[in-house]
Amino acid sequence: MAHIPDGVLSNPVLMAGAVVSVAGVAFGLRGLDPVRVPKVAVLSAVLFVASLVHFPAGLASVHLLLNGLAGIVLGPAVFPAMLVALVLQAVLFGFGGLVALGVNTMDMAVPALLAGGLFRLLWRDGSSRARASLLGAMAGGGAVLLTALMVALTLALSGREFIAAARLVALTHLPVMVIEAAFTAAAIALLSRVKPEMLARPA
Amino acid sequence: MKILLPLALLLLATPAQAHKLKLFATVEGPVILGTAYFSGGDKAVGVGGVVRMADGSMAGEVRTDQDGAFRFEVRSRTDHSVTMDGGDGHMATVTIGAAELPQTLPAGPAALPTPPPLPAVAGLDAVEAAVARQIRPLRQQLDAYEDKVRLHDIMGGVGTIFGIFGIAAWVSARRRSPS
Repeated sequence: MAHIPDGVLSNPVLMAGAVVSVAGVAFGLRGLDPVRVPKVAVLSAVLFVASLVHFPAGLASVHLLLNGLAGIVLGPAVFPAMLVALVLQAVLFGFGGLVALGVNTMDMAVPALLAGGLFRLLWRDGSSRARASLLGAMAGGGAVLLTALMVALTLALSGREFIAAARLVALTHLPVMVIEAAFTAAAIALLSRVKPEMLARPA
Repeated sequence: MKILLPLALLLLATPAQAHKLKLFATVEGPVILGTAYFSGGDKAVGVGGVVRMADGSMAGEVRTDQDGAFRFEVRSRTDHSVTMDGGDGHMATVTIGAAELPQTLPAGPAALPTPPPLPAVAGLDAVEAAVARQIRPLRQQLDAYEDKVRLHDIMGGVGTIFGIFGIAAWVSARRRSPS
């Protein structure tokens, strides 16, 4: 649900989001080896499509974020990948406002980066599949939780009641967390078996 | 085997649009009737909103019922904008132009230049209300149709992503190649 439309957030929050996202994109592009660009493109396309798959969750319906998975595979390059995916969602489908792009990118990519960092810290090449699954589940679920909290926080800083917003956002995201943890665990377990170099620390 | 569970979950989920609050409103006589729903068609129940007039002053508040529907009685003939706020970062606005409201209402504050009143015809309001009621489902359908995510949009988006990163790779490869 990191699709905050225009007109909801206050100007200081929008500015802060833009600054963080520009810095993140610059950081991500600087360390990007041209050889890895196709990987970024694939993950960006995955992020773009992930939001179109819907799950009914109580009164509302929610979609996958997959930012944990992207953070693990891409590292800092998740920022440009996320920005491109969100720009196209905003332009083609009207999901999220164009002015709020900075905040939306920040809310999605910062948790992705942290989840990816945590994964890399605990992951060793040749770790067992169970360990890969567990770490993947933690990163996938954790990234969603952190995104929900950041969305609630950006709403609170824009003058909305934090507790109410956080409860709404976190409650609707609980099923997403579970699904996403399962999905990321399966994806990481598969990657660790067939393509462990995808998970290796980017040089 | 581990991949089967998430795959099954993915298959169970109906592919629809991402989560976005949508608002649809029409006029029947002096009443604004509307529904709020999340893209994909789920009703937005118990969502509060405010109605503002053209000059920005509050006209009143609305709240959606069990069916995601709301109604608001208009007191003056001016542009009304309804803004619904889900509280979790979802917000949508719809504007009802003064021209859609019945001419029998008094002109409101800062009303836009309204067309000269038509000669009073008996039952004109009733006809207008009937027509509005008749075309309401059509307008709703049109609204939903416009909002539908289509495969060619998705394919276009994916293609654009690969194009952007392809150009990036090309530029950086050119920069490196002379060495």
